[in-house]
Amino acid sequence: MRSGFVIVSVIAVGLLMALPVAAHHGSAVFDTGKKVTLKGTVKEWVYSNPHCLLSLDVTGEDGKMVQWIAEGQAPNVIFPVGYRKDSFKAGDQVTVIVEPVKNGRPMGRILQAVLADGRTLGVASSPPPATSAAPQP
Amino acid sequence: MQNPVLVLMSLFVAAMGLPVDTFAQNSSPGGWLTPNWEKPPITDANKKPAPRRNLAGMWGPAGGPGAGTQAAGVQLKPNNGRPENQLPYTPGGLELYRSHKALEGIDAVLPAQDNDPRNRCEPLGMPRSNHYNIRLTQIFQDEYKVVILYHYDNRWRVIWTDGRELPKLVEGGVEIAGEVRERRFFGYSVGRWVDDYTLEVQTVGTMPEDRVWLDSTGRPISEQARVTETFRRVDNDTLVWSETIADPKVYATPWDTMRLPMRLHNPRTDIMEYYCSPSEQENYNRLFGNAAGGKGAP
Repeated sequence: MRSGFVIVSVIAVGLLMALPVAAHHGSAVFDTGKKVTLKGTVKEWVYSNPHCLLSLDVTGEDGKMVQWIAEGQAPNVIFPVGYRKDSFKAGDQVTVIVEPVKNGRPMGRILQAVLADGRTLGVASSPPPATSAAPQP
Repeated sequence: MQNPVLVLMSLFVAAMGLPVDTFAQNSSPGGWLTPNWEKPPITDANKKPAPRRNLAGMWGPAGGPGAGTQAAGVQLKPNNGRPENQLPYTPGGLELYRSHKALEGIDAVLPAQDNDPRNRCEPLGMPRSNHYNIRLTQIFQDEYKVVILYHYDNRWRVIWTDGRELPKLVEGGVEIAGEVRERRFFGYSVGRWVDDYTLEVQTVGTMPEDRVWLDSTGRPISEQARVTETFRRVDNDTLVWSETIADPKVYATPWDTMRLPMRLHNPRTDIMEYYCSPSEQENYNRLFGNAAGGKGAP
């Protein structure tokens, strides 16, 4: 099995500030603007309300394996951006970028996922509102 | 002789005012249409006139699936601390707001501290249902009523349009024909057509402030609330859903909460479930929510 690795980078991502969320934990738990890139092996993908959860075994540069949990919004919210019940299967090798929680635990919300078949999916949330789509009655 | 059950069913379907199927194309495998949010803008070239006194259809926010979530507070007044979004709280209203520990908005707390009734899967009621994840929303109507099917938690609400009077707010509930009736999560809604394309709806008799919130940032609402909505069908494909609340117990003056443009979707679109399930909520908190919201690394 290919070893995964973790790259932690602090990047100001202004766009992330505008993510529409419908969280059951609120935005306050996330370290807005940080990104963590995870390469690892899927343990479980829970496609369920109120949030979908991806468990991922990630081996760090020190050789230790850490289990990360990355969340997406509810299934009906992330379906339009391509996330499906079978997007991740146990044993899949995937790369996931998350916005980590503030308290340092190996948890975050999914900003991007490269699936085992090479497809890339974006933020596991609603796409941002289209400013031009609103009619002017 | 025709089967009377079939005849009745046909009459019922016709009476519900189901929209004419103008979405004949069905390219989804197996016929299970997924929502199509990629819609061309309404222009003079493709604009079709609004049907008279008809709101029926499947509607979604015109700005896309994320345009009606209102996670940061009601659409017109996000709870972000900006002066223009300050609300006209009464002293009691402000005290109530401060007692609410919300997971969203400028005063958001960590999950261990929150007291949002939503997180116990309590019904959102009116008017919070208008401010919580408005996505695909179905409206049916007949000659007596308009019915709104909210996506979140599969909730439905009846607005009577048969000319009945709005109940009077009284201590303990509402008064109907001399009787005091119970408060309801969705209250008592009565609508009247102010013109052929605009339905104005009044709602009273909703739940008190210890049962419901106005939005996900902990803004309060009380049983004294009178909610006024307008549904204006601008053209065949556009409905503008507006709301004003008057609640003298919590707010010193009435104020506008929402003016949400909605686009017509294919009525055969399949909508995924979006329930609040206590067991799923518990599982989520066990796997993620509690640890993510706790203090300090393990």
